[in-house]
Amino acid sequence: MTQTPPSEHDIHAYVDGHLDGPDRAEVERYLDRHPERALEVQGWRQDAQQLRALLAGDLVSSPGLDPVLVRARRRQRRLSRLAIAAGLMFCLAAGGIGGWSARGMGRGAVAPMADAMQAYRLLAVEHGLGMDITTGNENDLRAWLAGRVGPTAQLPDLADAGFRPMGGRLFATDQGAAAMILYDDGAGHTVSFYVRPPGAARHLLQRGEREQDGLLADYWSRDGHNYAVVGLADAAGRAAVQRVTGRSI
Amino acid sequence: MTDPTIDEALRALLPRLRRFALWLARDPNAADDLVQSTLERALSRWSSRREAQSLRAWLFAILYRIYLDSKRRASLHARFLGSLAEDEPTWPSAERVAVAHSTLAAFASLPVEQRSLLLWVTVEGMSYQEVADILQVPIGTVMSRLSRARQALHRLGEGVIPESPSLRLLK
Repeated sequence: MTQTPPSEHDIHAYVDGHLDGPDRAEVERYLDRHPERALEVQGWRQDAQQLRALLAGDLVSSPGLDPVLVRARRRQRRLSRLAIAAGLMFCLAAGGIGGWSARGMGRGAVAPMADAMQAYRLLAVEHGLGMDITTGNENDLRAWLAGRVGPTAQLPDLADAGFRPMGGRLFATDQGAAAMILYDDGAGHTVSFYVRPPGAARHLLQRGEREQDGLLADYWSRDGHNYAVVGLADAAGRAAVQRVTGRSI
Repeated sequence: MTDPTIDEALRALLPRLRRFALWLARDPNAADDLVQSTLERALSRWSSRREAQSLRAWLFAILYRIYLDSKRRASLHARFLGSLAEDEPTWPSAERVAVAHSTLAAFASLPVEQRSLLLWVTVEGMSYQEVADILQVPIGTVMSRLSRARQALHRLGEGVIPESPSLRLLK
């Protein structure tokens, strides 16, 4: 009688004791007739038994690895990772702000009233900052300006030029507190009036005008303060700035 | 499942996990690290576990993968340093004594996959399907790999030494 050899699966299942009933009997019948194969399979069974017995001794508890401890360590690490992330964010922010300020300082030395243009960009173009004072009342703004920048700081009256003040914001500069008043003509044009002290070097400015990065600045000095009017360097902005400077101080 | 129930289930399997880790890493400290990483990953991925899947097989699969990844990184690192150091770590001296038994010695010198396969099937008594899932191969492949592993173990146990560099650690 010829017999097809049992499948590899059945042989392993026989070795591992997973085979019962007729399947097991069939494997045993096959092995009876094939002593060489039987010897090999018997060897596998013995190896498996020995391995089981020998490795049983390796089953030891390890209290240091308890899930409760692992959970605690995880939580702690997550917290410290959060702290590191927060620290990193702080460094990035500090670096960014520092870099931004440094940019302003470097340029300020060569470009007059660069701070006035940056202030305008921040407040009117990027809307990155809020106002310190929001009022259309010129008397309130004049008082605010006098109190923060100095009693001699002048606020122009631009009502005739069609501009009404919206509010103001203070900035810190190397020369001291600076203030920017934002004006609006009701038609979507904003210009800013910027004033700051000239600093210890009493660096006063010749009247001048310059454009940079899409912004236009008109600047001058008077009564110990440096002034600038800043707007967008497009046709409408140019006209607006000229209307303002034609009227002011 | 609540946290205490999960912890209880994990705790029950800890000795088995550690035994497997010990036979993979063959260093008690490395084994502890492996088990700890396994538990951490298991806890963080607990929600992605299929309920039907055996917890033991799932944990063994995680541990096995972490071990292979770390080994791959280590061998990349070794290659980067230009040193083709021994692939297999050497046994700590205390464990070398345990290796005196020929079957154990043979088992120790098997390649990682064969060692894992035999541990899962013969020692842990896991089903062939569970093993196929861990290795992500068809069950037929598990069968042929198991045959090769059993042949290798038996041959080594009888002192027939193939060209395996890892036998150096039996001196």
